[in-house]
Amino acid sequence: MIASDIVCSGVHHAFADRDALTGVELRARGGIVTVLGANGAGKSTLLRCLATLIRPDHGTVDVDGLDPRREAERIEIRRRMGYLPQQVGFSPGATVFDVVDYFGVLKEVRDDRRRRHQVFDALDRVGLADRAADDVAALSGGMQRRLGMAQTLLGTPSLLILDEPSAGLDPDERLRLRAVIAERRSSTTIVVSTHLTDEAALGDAVVVLHDGRVRFTGTPQALADAASGHTWVQTELPPPNVRASWRLADGRHRCLGAPPQGATIVAPTIEDGYLLLVRSPD
Amino acid sequence: MNIDQARLDANWRAITIELDAPRASRPERALRRIGLPSHVTRLVGATPALRRAWYLAIAGVVFVGLAATDADAPRQSVLVLLMLAPLVPVFGIALAYGPNADPAYEMQLATPTRGLRLVAIRSFVVISISAVIVTSVALVSAVARPYAAAWLLPALAVTGTSLMLMTWVSPRRASIAAGTSWFVAVLVAEQTSGALAAFTAIGQVTASVVAVVSIGVAVRRRSSFDHLMAAT
Repeated sequence: MIASDIVCSGVHHAFADRDALTGVELRARGGIVTVLGANGAGKSTLLRCLATLIRPDHGTVDVDGLDPRREAERIEIRRRMGYLPQQVGFSPGATVFDVVDYFGVLKEVRDDRRRRHQVFDALDRVGLADRAADDVAALSGGMQRRLGMAQTLLGTPSLLILDEPSAGLDPDERLRLRAVIAERRSSTTIVVSTHLTDEAALGDAVVVLHDGRVRFTGTPQALADAASGHTWVQTELPPPNVRASWRLADGRHRCLGAPPQGATIVAPTIEDGYLLLVRSPD
Repeated sequence: MNIDQARLDANWRAITIELDAPRASRPERALRRIGLPSHVTRLVGATPALRRAWYLAIAGVVFVGLAATDADAPRQSVLVLLMLAPLVPVFGIALAYGPNADPAYEMQLATPTRGLRLVAIRSFVVISISAVIVTSVALVSAVARPYAAAWLLPALAVTGTSLMLMTWVSPRRASIAAGTSWFVAVLVAEQTSGALAAFTAIGQVTASVVAVVSIGVAVRRRSSFDHLMAAT
């Protein structure tokens, strides 16, 4: 399986009252791309455009040279894709197995035996194989999210689009999810949205989305480096012209912006880079 | 003796998977018995959102059935039956498909199965069940018996109109608009041409035309079913 090649060019999409995406450019092939941004930044809209669920008003989305505006090519993209939306839910009354098996049918795995194997493999990976006969209503929110993740793994996708996959997961579940994603890294293009900077740090590339615009594209280290020389700590209250500041556990203040003379410059983190970026003028 | 451990493990896993896989539900097994392939029965049987539509269909049918058994007011009884029966599949479909009805809607949409195919399968199931039950109820009522099948083409027309409207608006709005149009059409027909005019030969021909045109438009605009629908 070869990882999908995705290209977004000048993607623009508006809802009734506001622009959700403006001139978004994105290119990825293989590995993990994290789309980092605050709530309402346009992450879900971008991922839905990539997943062919929304037609952008302007611009193009291209997956492996396929154009989702054409019906046959859109279906072909969906054959290669696993998608986890931000809101995951299942109607009660079906078993865990039935739900994933149903998605296996939707993903065109027609042979019963082959589908059963894929379903149990996927459930194994997300740690739900022993709950196969349980009603989905008996699963916790985190487990339902893992169940949603299981359906994305059916059919060996070359593109995974995961909208805030770790939302609502406890630390153990989050580790398991990271392991599932990591083992696909070499053979799949994985686009993950998050508003957590520590998760963005796990990607091979980070795209910072702010108010519907791409503000940064590069490695997590490059995002951290963007705050290099602009991150310092001090014991006094921060001056009013800092871009961002917060109090540390030891009582000092960590500040971002133009450092004053003699400031104690510290090594920046990806969070520093992100905050400096989104709090700076365009 | 050499034992191929990998092969042994694979075989053991295959056996446990076959044993662990839960049995298909009763409706699904019934559909397999009549010859439908398992990948189709799975689409019908493993979608709990559909069951709500079934329950609605059955509840609607019981209601119209009861309404149709008033021997003292035969004309009104039959009119109630014929007006309400076509709405059963329409609202059944609205409860079986779309972002409001099905919590897994967005995940399903991202699969290669076309949205129109999914909604068509669900529509077919709801209409079939409604048809069997409404017709059976009508047949046991002496008042409604002559009109037992008169609602079928109108039901197809109203359902087709609802599907067509779903290519522009949410399933809920589409079903309300289609249902309201149907009510208005029946009442206008009754006022202008007499009782039960909508169910005469002309009414049936009109319903057939509406069904063909609306389903044709829905098929032509099928890509709307492949994209996220409005929730309201």
